[in-house]
Amino acid sequence: MSRLSFGGLIDRAQPLNFTFDGMKHAGFAGDTLASALIANGVKLVGRSFKYHRPRGILTAGSEEPNALVTLRSGARAEPNTRATTVQLFEGLEAKSQNRWPTLSVDVMALNQVFAPILVAGFYYKTFMWPAKYWEKLYEPIIRRAAGLGQLSMEPDPDSYERAHGFCDLLVIGAGPSGLIAAVTAARAGLRVIIADGDWVLGGRLCSERHVINEAAAGKWVDDTVAELRATPNVTLLSRTQIFGAYDGCEYGALEQVSDHLGNIPPGKSRQRFWKIIAGRTILATGAIERPLVFGGNDKPGVMTASAAATYVNRFAAVPGRRAVVFTTTDSGWSAAEDLMSAGVQLAAVVDPRTDSQPPAAARLRQAGIEILSGAALTDVHGRTVRSVDVLLKDGSRRRISADLVLMSGGWNPSIGLGSNLGDRPVWSDLVHSFVLNTAPPGMKATGAAAGHFSLSGSLADGVRAAEETLRELGRTSAVAPAPLAGDEPSASSPPWYSRGHRSKAFVDFQNDVTDADVSLAAREGFVSIEHLKRYTTLGMATDQGKTSQLNGHAVLAAATGKSIAEAGTIMSRPPYLPVAIGALAGHHQNTAFRPERRTASHEWARERGATFVDAGLWKRAQWFAHPGERDWLQTVSREVSMTRSGVGICDVSTLGKIDVHGPDAGILLDRLYINMFSTLPVGRARYGVMLREDGFVMDDGTTARLGEDRFYVTTTTLNAAKIMQHIDYARQVLWPELDVQATSVTEQWSTYSVAGPLSRPLLQMLLPDLDLSNDSFAFMAAIELRWRNLPARLSRLSFSGELAYEISVPASHGEMLVRALFTAGDAFHAVPYGTEALGVMRIEKGHPAGNEINGQTTAADLAMGRMMSKKKDYIGRAMAERPALSDTNRPSLVGVRPLGGARLRAGAHLLPQGRDPLAANDQGYITSAAYSPSRGQWIGLALLQGGAARHGELVTVHDPVRGPDFAAEICDPVFVDPEGVRVRG
Amino acid sequence: MDSDYRLTERPGLGMATIMARKGIQPAVIGAVLGFLPPDGPERAADARLALIGTGPGTWLALAETPEADWVTQLANKLNGLASVSDQSGSYVVLRIAGSGARETLQRGVFIDLHPAVFRSGSAATTVIEHIGVVLWQLDDVPTFEIATFRSFASNIRHWFELAAAS
Repeated sequence: MSRLSFGGLIDRAQPLNFTFDGMKHAGFAGDTLASALIANGVKLVGRSFKYHRPRGILTAGSEEPNALVTLRSGARAEPNTRATTVQLFEGLEAKSQNRWPTLSVDVMALNQVFAPILVAGFYYKTFMWPAKYWEKLYEPIIRRAAGLGQLSMEPDPDSYERAHGFCDLLVIGAGPSGLIAAVTAARAGLRVIIADGDWVLGGRLCSERHVINEAAAGKWVDDTVAELRATPNVTLLSRTQIFGAYDGCEYGALEQVSDHLGNIPPGKSRQRFWKIIAGRTILATGAIERPLVFGGNDKPGVMTASAAATYVNRFAAVPGRRAVVFTTTDSGWSAAEDLMSAGVQLAAVVDPRTDSQPPAAARLRQAGIEILSGAALTDVHGRTVRSVDVLLKDGSRRRISADLVLMSGGWNPSIGLGSNLGDRPVWSDLVHSFVLNTAPPGMKATGAAAGHFSLSGSLADGVRAAEETLRELGRTSAVAPAPLAGDEPSASSPPWYSRGHRSKAFVDFQNDVTDADVSLAAREGFVSIEHLKRYTTLGMATDQGKTSQLNGHAVLAAATGKSIAEAGTIMSRPPYLPVAIGALAGHHQNTAFRPERRTASHEWARERGATFVDAGLWKRAQWFAHPGERDWLQTVSREVSMTRSGVGICDVSTLGKIDVHGPDAGILLDRLYINMFSTLPVGRARYGVMLREDGFVMDDGTTARLGEDRFYVTTTTLNAAKIMQHIDYARQVLWPELDVQATSVTEQWSTYSVAGPLSRPLLQMLLPDLDLSNDSFAFMAAIELRWRNLPARLSRLSFSGELAYEISVPASHGEMLVRALFTAGDAFHAVPYGTEALGVMRIEKGHPAGNEINGQTTAADLAMGRMMSKKKDYIGRAMAERPALSDTNRPSLVGVRPLGGARLRAGAHLLPQGRDPLAANDQGYITSAAYSPSRGQWIGLALLQGGAARHGELVTVHDPVRGPDFAAEICDPVFVDPEGVRVRG
Repeated sequence: MDSDYRLTERPGLGMATIMARKGIQPAVIGAVLGFLPPDGPERAADARLALIGTGPGTWLALAETPEADWVTQLANKLNGLASVSDQSGSYVVLRIAGSGARETLQRGVFIDLHPAVFRSGSAATTVIEHIGVVLWQLDDVPTFEIATFRSFASNIRHWFELAAAS
């Protein structure tokens, strides 16, 4: 065991059992999986992506590139989980990844032998010729070798929820500067949300040994957190990672509600996805320590100095017995002291700097620690660290035995969120890293994220950021000064890397990019930072280059002779850390994937055995099968025949319905439709067609005039919202001078089509006082009336071609109406019919629908050219007159009937007889097809070149996917009652 | 989280859309109705009628105890001043009341419901989980009501079940 018997933020009274690759271990409450593994002496944790090199734990934070494990098992297995951020729980189960058969013996490690050819751009250079192997050979090979971890392939058993937050100030990060900024703003009365990914707040104060106000820093953290929790205007979110900054001061956040629990209680969600609108934002995300680039810097036992200090100070877990510290920063020396206090033997401290050394150097020297200044660590030996080579100031090399290497190469402000909206960070010579240039609106960085690395500096900066925010928001309250803290040395040297190394030196640990890869890319001309990234994959792994990016840029700068400032850096996109898709989906899973709209007759239809079909979001009855029916075709044919011979009833409530009112309503409709509406008498309805601005047909439907200034427009189901928008655009933007109002009443009216020769007597039973005779209620009549003291609407419209009516009542009473219709309909053997029979009857009548009004057809194409008024202007008129749109040889609507009993299918192409099935001979295609019970054969509608003049011609129906060619006759698209006797009957 | 709230449905309300004719100011309509219609996303009411501002010159009218021909009466009263469309069947109105009502609604509504921002008399046209709703606050209990299109109502009920569970 490598656990100290004292100190740390762990609860030794609460031991927790866990397994790693099946081995049983124990840790304590307060551990991360990584700290528990360290305390159990586990060094080898994973295998690298490309070379399958053994890897250990590099960091103690969410930037971890190496220690990625699969957490939990079965459906809950989560690959690529960072061991450094997983809070240990009883029974935790973790497995290493990217190895076979075991972690210690990994066959794919053979890749290292081929390392000389597995260089940057290997795939691009290798899998090029012959091209025919791309899909069949190369891609499968690459896919098999690539990727980290494996999905369970089982449905996600967890639930996810959503929350919305609003605040005057969002503080991202609860380290010293974040806490002081939040509490300062909260005291002045701002609504504050403060979020931190960790479950313990305090940031670096949990990992380092500091004094604030003459007490251990932990006390200040506890007091401040307690004050924040007690303030009602503060929302304190721990375990919550802000992962993205978006337009409009919107932030995305993920709260890990139950990830730290062994078993998620039933009904409790796993994670909560927050959308937060913040008036102002303080980015207090701290800084991430840079590794150093030297040979074998990826081996288990090499970690960042700050990580080692964190394991010792926060978790009382000691990562090694004998350490070499390789640092170019003052903070590396502090870490060395921390380890020494924890009983780790310091073999040497290596610092390439010769000009200055922090006070810690003198203390360590006094304690007899060897200090090698002007020297550099070049290579690490052993599978896990056994010894290191140091290139001394005088040019000689020395081997030093050690089982732990601490490296400290400087600090990168953690400003990823700050560049989410497209601001490119700029180089700062002061902090030797990139800092925010211009932050997103309302955001300011503070503390280490702004390059203030000393504790006192970062506290003072947190107060300053809060003060500035208060001033911007017009608050003038006095602000307490920052608490008293030490001003520890925090100097560092510019990014530095050792050229004297003999073994592989890694820049990007997770994607296995070495300094040689970066140099090679530069030699091959990939000298732009953006090209370098994509060519070498530097920074493109799941850690998004949090530890690697800057070192890569430094190597590139060195290789191209530029300064880092000139080489520049990349921008960061959300998410800052990986987010499970399930968390973004929330409740929208399976059938709740999208909302579902139900008509008023839904429950009734279900009772009658309806099969439902999706029409946009609507569920519509597709057909009503009877027991014993062979298939849907038999059902639908029965519904059609019974309607045509008796009476059928269909719910048509999903059609779009719009009240267009006002003195200028008629004028507006004249401008929207190709035909006239201002002349429509009150009490009558008319069929109308609308064009798009480009002259093609947009939508069709009937419009009734219910009063001098009241029109009732209907649209197709799928275009309901689009036409409402179109009308609003026309009356608000195109012609604001018109006095016309429009509102959707689609949801108001539950409408049933009652069709067939017996529709009149059936309706008469519901409306005994209304004269439904032809004389008083002719075809296309439309009135308002009352039914059972409810407002109702009745019109004599027909889509089926039969004598038919549409009756509407408020949707709240739509179920009552459908039941009443069928009670009355019993005597007439009324049949419910669904959308399929509706479709068959409209094809039999040659009415165009969505298949024909497909955005490529003109009114003339659909045999409605004569409706286009010459007496008025309307949307689309000018463009419809373009020569190509009025060419008589355009494909136009025809009917098709096969010779013999062949089955027509929509999508089949029409060729002149005897011609080869080539695209050049293609003259059109079948848009809609149905079996017509009325004609006893399959029939179809088609768009055929010059179709209107070709009735009677024989063509070849060519359907290469679904069957052999056959002959068919082109005919009039109206197959049933072409004279229209029945609708007027 | 405070999930102490009661969810009840409010069937039988009379509802209508009122849209002012061109150039007619809210005050003119108010003179006929007896109270000033809100000129923004707010709710105003007398004992019989409530108006919720849903757009410029546009209100959702609610009648607690509507007579059978109340929409016709309303349209006649506002003849020449506004267009009136019956919407009594269009919406399902849900009432959410109790100390946990705000927190529960906030999980679905992406507008700020903090009492300093959204208070008794406030209204909004917004969405809950992709479903359009009109939302207003009646009192400081707090009591909220939301109107959602009838065809979507089962989705909203489902959402409340989930929101209450988590």
